Amino acid sequence: MAIAVPKAADARIDRLERIWAERPGVMGWLTTVDHKRIGLMFLFTSLAFFAAGGVEALLIRTQLLQPNGTVLGPNGFNEAMTMHGVTMIFLFVVPISIGAFGNYLVPMMIGARDMAFPRLNAFSFWVFLAAGIFMYVGVFSGNAPTAGWFDYVPLAENTYSPGPGIDFYALGLIFTGVSSTATAVNLIVTIFKLRAPGMSINRMPLFCFAFLAVAFALVFALPALTCALVLLEFDRLLGFHFYDIAAGGDTILWQNLFWIFGHPEVYIIILPAFGIATSIIPTFVRRRMVAFPMVALAEILVAFIGFGVWAHHMFAVGLSQVTNIYFAAASLIIVIPSGIQLFAWITTIVTGTPRFKTPLLWIVGFIVLFIIGGLSGITFAAIPFDQQLTDTYYVVAHFHYVIFGAAVFPILGGLYYWFPKVTGRMYFERWGQASFWVSFAGMNLTFFPMHIVGLLGMPRRQYTYPSDLGWTGYNIIESIGAYLLAAGLLMVVANLIVSSFRGEAAGRDPFGGATLEWATSSPPPAYNYAVIPKVSSPYPMWDAEDRDEDVANLASGRMVLEQGHETPASTAVDADWDEILDMPSSSPWPVVLAVAISGIFAFVLLKQWIAAGVFVVATLVVLAAWHGKEPQRA
Amino acid sequence: MSDVTRSMEATTADATARVVRQRRTFASGWWGMALLIATEFTLFASLIASYFYLRFQNDQWPPAGIEDPSLALPLALTGILVLTTVPMFGAVAAGRAGHRWRAWMLVALAMVVQGAYLGLQIWLFADDMNSFSPSATAYGSIYFTLLGVHHVHVAVGLALDLWLLGALAFGLTNYRFLALRVIALYWYFVAFIGVAVVITQIYPSL
Repeated sequence: MAIAVPKAADARIDRLERIWAERPGVMGWLTTVDHKRIGLMFLFTSLAFFAAGGVEALLIRTQLLQPNGTVLGPNGFNEAMTMHGVTMIFLFVVPISIGAFGNYLVPMMIGARDMAFPRLNAFSFWVFLAAGIFMYVGVFSGNAPTAGWFDYVPLAENTYSPGPGIDFYALGLIFTGVSSTATAVNLIVTIFKLRAPGMSINRMPLFCFAFLAVAFALVFALPALTCALVLLEFDRLLGFHFYDIAAGGDTILWQNLFWIFGHPEVYIIILPAFGIATSIIPTFVRRRMVAFPMVALAEILVAFIGFGVWAHHMFAVGLSQVTNIYFAAASLIIVIPSGIQLFAWITTIVTGTPRFKTPLLWIVGFIVLFIIGGLSGITFAAIPFDQQLTDTYYVVAHFHYVIFGAAVFPILGGLYYWFPKVTGRMYFERWGQASFWVSFAGMNLTFFPMHIVGLLGMPRRQYTYPSDLGWTGYNIIESIGAYLLAAGLLMVVANLIVSSFRGEAAGRDPFGGATLEWATSSPPPAYNYAVIPKVSSPYPMWDAEDRDEDVANLASGRMVLEQGHETPASTAVDADWDEILDMPSSSPWPVVLAVAISGIFAFVLLKQWIAAGVFVVATLVVLAAWHGKEPQRA
Repeated sequence: MSDVTRSMEATTADATARVVRQRRTFASGWWGMALLIATEFTLFASLIASYFYLRFQNDQWPPAGIEDPSLALPLALTGILVLTTVPMFGAVAAGRAGHRWRAWMLVALAMVVQGAYLGLQIWLFADDMNSFSPSATAYGSIYFTLLGVHHVHVAVGLALDLWLLGALAFGLTNYRFLALRVIALYWYFVAFIGVAVVITQIYPSL
């Protein structure tokens, strides 16, 4: 018996390897439906856009290094400023969080073998890639948008922004919206349906709660942006008058629609970071999260309340005082769920036994920066203060503390944390810590002085400033900080690249992590888990008996599901085992469909309506082909 | 393990009916459609909110020179669209019981009526275009955009019907039953939102 058991287990693993193998080479990547490979493609693509957005940021800071700078000129500055915002938000933070982290980790953390809709998942990546290329074709053909990332009308109308720059922006964002919506729907269904039997909703990791909240926020926030952009394009391409006051339209309509999307978007950006923090903290302080249900609820509440605060971006517009006061009060309520999470993180760290390894350092840095950014955020809820400081560098300081400090720092910490899982190798700890300190110093040098120049009255989005206003010294510090920050980020990239070739072997679980992804080999096999893991708490890796049972199950064949591309489906709340699903395997249609849809967007931009119509038909044909083959056992 | 459903093995009408009874929760595809509807619903909410936002920026609505919208025909057409949810509902019930051809006939019936609805709506749309333009006033812009977006949703539904009829002609499987169910769900949404759209459309005449 003692010899027969591992043999049976090996045979099962061989069988799973055969069933889940994908094509080798480039074709394998083009047709893959493996959530991990798709997650990696999202990661590399969004990091490339991060680099592009970073170069734009450095151009901006170089232009502003000295008064009366001449590096960019007014139009070049507007292009860099607009594309920096658009790139960082739509092509970096959102895709890296939901596309890379969500895609790679959510199925692993819930013990599933893939996302609920594997081909839709591949489709959302190819659409994201196409949308990113679409927008950068605009940049490299000299047609970058110049109206800022929130693209206010009437500046964005034909009269004031002739040429296709704004069309690249508007159509490109509708295009990325398709990708984000697809990913969001996929994440929600995956979380509701594919949790390992036994992982009832109260045993789901907080990371997944955060991503569930983000996905719901995306589903309900993006349509307002799509609506605003469609109306704008109708104005621009067809001569409609939604935003034209002379013909009965209204410019504030754009602002309302944009911020109904835009404020939830802030939480869409930051909630994945909260999820990453709640994964890293328990691992490195060796204890469970304090107030687990409160934190889970707070994550969802942040996303929910985020829909009721949009007009706090519009205090200086001239809305009625009652409206302003309502939105100020609603904005203050967000302090409560944010505070719950903040205190829970801090209490968990303080009452645990923290090991300040690189990932935890980034999280501690995040907490510090989030407190600063959160406090400066509260100051904006004071309407007169906001009216005074709006459109100054104080705002820029605030939202970079929140978006860079609180959203990107945990993403970088997460890159270090899951690097051993994804590559099977350890990063270099000392260099990792150094990269944190350099980035932390650079971040504060860049953005803290912006509070001060903002209070001194320096307006944002101006391509230069005169020398006699006392702003010069601060701007020099900010620009030096930006170069330091770039150096810190390059250290992160260099560390991870070198480590992926020369790092020590990491093994399954180098940190003693709490969640299921550490139960499988590093890098994980295509089927994630040979045995669908047993789950009886939100910290399944710390339940040793369950993990022993998995090993026994592999020998006996229980919960192995080896008859095809199989994964279990469970009931939505209690996670009772309901069904065995046969998941689709690799498919060429997602990438083909993305190409067909790119054709629609490209020809709409060129106002070639017939060609666009041809691609609409092509899209329908591809969809029919996609659904022609039913997912049945071969 | 034999008590757990393997839905993909359900490739006959009887097996499909059995799987549908066994399953304790909504299938992934149902969730996918429900969430697509949620996001489309929000899109319509944004459009209708934009309509009323623009309406309250204007003293005269519709602006001078444009007649108030007619009541009878749009309301009657929407009533017919809502009625097509009855055969769609019946088709799902027939599919659940394993009656493939009954389901096929009911979908076909619904599709004929939905197609006629869309044809008449397009004719009305063109007729409206002759009397006022979307590119002259904000009223025209939002009026034609709102209706146009809804018509596109009806057209997508017709394409789904067409695909479904083709698939059902070759037998009933779990996959096709699920398709029937979510396409019916889509039509309930299109009909429901059609009511909201028509009330917005005729609002100046109320």
